[in-house]
Amino acid sequence: MSAASIVDWGALGKVVLYSVVAGVGVPAIYGLAVLGAARSTDAQRARRGGPATAYALLALLGGVACLVAIAYGIVVMTQKS
Amino acid sequence: MASDVILVIVVGTALAFDFTNGFHDTANVVATAISTRAVPPRLAVTLASMLNFVGAFVSLKVAATVGKGIVDPGHIAGSHGMTIVFAGLVGAIAWNLATWWFGLPSSSSHALIGGLVGSALAASGTAAVDGNGLLSKVVVPALIAPVLAFAVAGVAILVIYRIVGRLRPGLVTRGFKLGQLGSAGLLALSHGTNDAQKTMGILTLALVAHGDISADKFAVPQWVVISAAGSIALGTYSGGWRIIKTMGSRIIKMDAAQGFAAQGAGSAVILAASHFGYPLSTTHVINGGIMGAGAAKRLSAVRWGVAGNIVVAWILTLPCAAAGGALVYGVTRIFGKGVTGPIVVSVLILIASFMLFTRRARGTAAAAVPA
Repeated sequence: MSAASIVDWGALGKVVLYSVVAGVGVPAIYGLAVLGAARSTDAQRARRGGPATAYALLALLGGVACLVAIAYGIVVMTQKS
Repeated sequence: MASDVILVIVVGTALAFDFTNGFHDTANVVATAISTRAVPPRLAVTLASMLNFVGAFVSLKVAATVGKGIVDPGHIAGSHGMTIVFAGLVGAIAWNLATWWFGLPSSSSHALIGGLVGSALAASGTAAVDGNGLLSKVVVPALIAPVLAFAVAGVAILVIYRIVGRLRPGLVTRGFKLGQLGSAGLLALSHGTNDAQKTMGILTLALVAHGDISADKFAVPQWVVISAAGSIALGTYSGGWRIIKTMGSRIIKMDAAQGFAAQGAGSAVILAASHFGYPLSTTHVINGGIMGAGAAKRLSAVRWGVAGNIVVAWILTLPCAAAGGALVYGVTRIFGKGVTGPIVVSVLILIASFMLFTRRARGTAAAAVPA
């Protein structure tokens, strides 16, 4: 029996795909949240209300998206039982 | 009566292995967060310990895989079967202690699987081991996981630097330190889920051998879940500081964004693999992630000598733990089929562990004395 028939390469391919999407996507979204928080602080100091609010919204959405990703990770853990 | 005594010894040894598993792998969860000063060391270890305990209750699928997917339970029966499990556990403990001594983050999971395979091979030959299961569930994922984590963490940190590169460093560092709390928490939970279950699987295998549980209905008793969760949590709380130091500062000098990228990539790879039923080594994944996050910034940022030692330890883990398991099985058989062999080996490993910890404690105390 060859290694090709023993190993489920399709499932391994999905592991690679999901790892890349989540492993790069979530840190990138969190990076955007950090960017939003930093730019919002700078805009507030410069008394620019519009950009400050927009960047704060970016920070909030990024943070919430990451919390959702963590919650989804916990769901994935419970689903494998 | 003799089989009851062997069962008690096996349970004690399995929980001791679980302790070394937590002790050895604390670094996987907390090293990056401690290194970047996102969390104070003692608090990080305490939180990791608590989340490890909780994580152990989340799932039982890996327990079943370890209990019946690598070694054929049909060959693990009666006192002889429990002696095989015992020998495998001692082989794994010995390898964990040896790699801890040298501060090397090797895989406790592979040590356990290697020890069990070695003792089963020595006792019953190749028929006792599921070679296909070993190849598809252990060997191939072991080759792919660290490379994948390396690549994912590398791309992630490049994307992060691209996004936040022009911002004030202080704000960025604070932001990623906060992010590390979430990523470290998720890692601790997934570590408890994956690793505590491996001991649960071994304990259940011993109970099957003892005749308490039917091999057809492989169900993990509640006391096994609670004791394995408690043991790994206690081990995690004790903290393997030597390995934390290696992972936290000797592979790369990490900033908060790199720590976050390594942990985020590690969590993603572990969860994706677990979802598809691959019991990965958290050690391999997190170390791959740390090296990737360092190399993407600058190739020379990674201390390749340290990284090379770690990779050599990974390659040696399965065969060395297997050799240990086979050797211990052989030693127990010198004393016949009864309880004498496991008792003698237990006493020897207790004495060796005590000497090792005492010598290390003396070394630490001497290092702490100012010149």
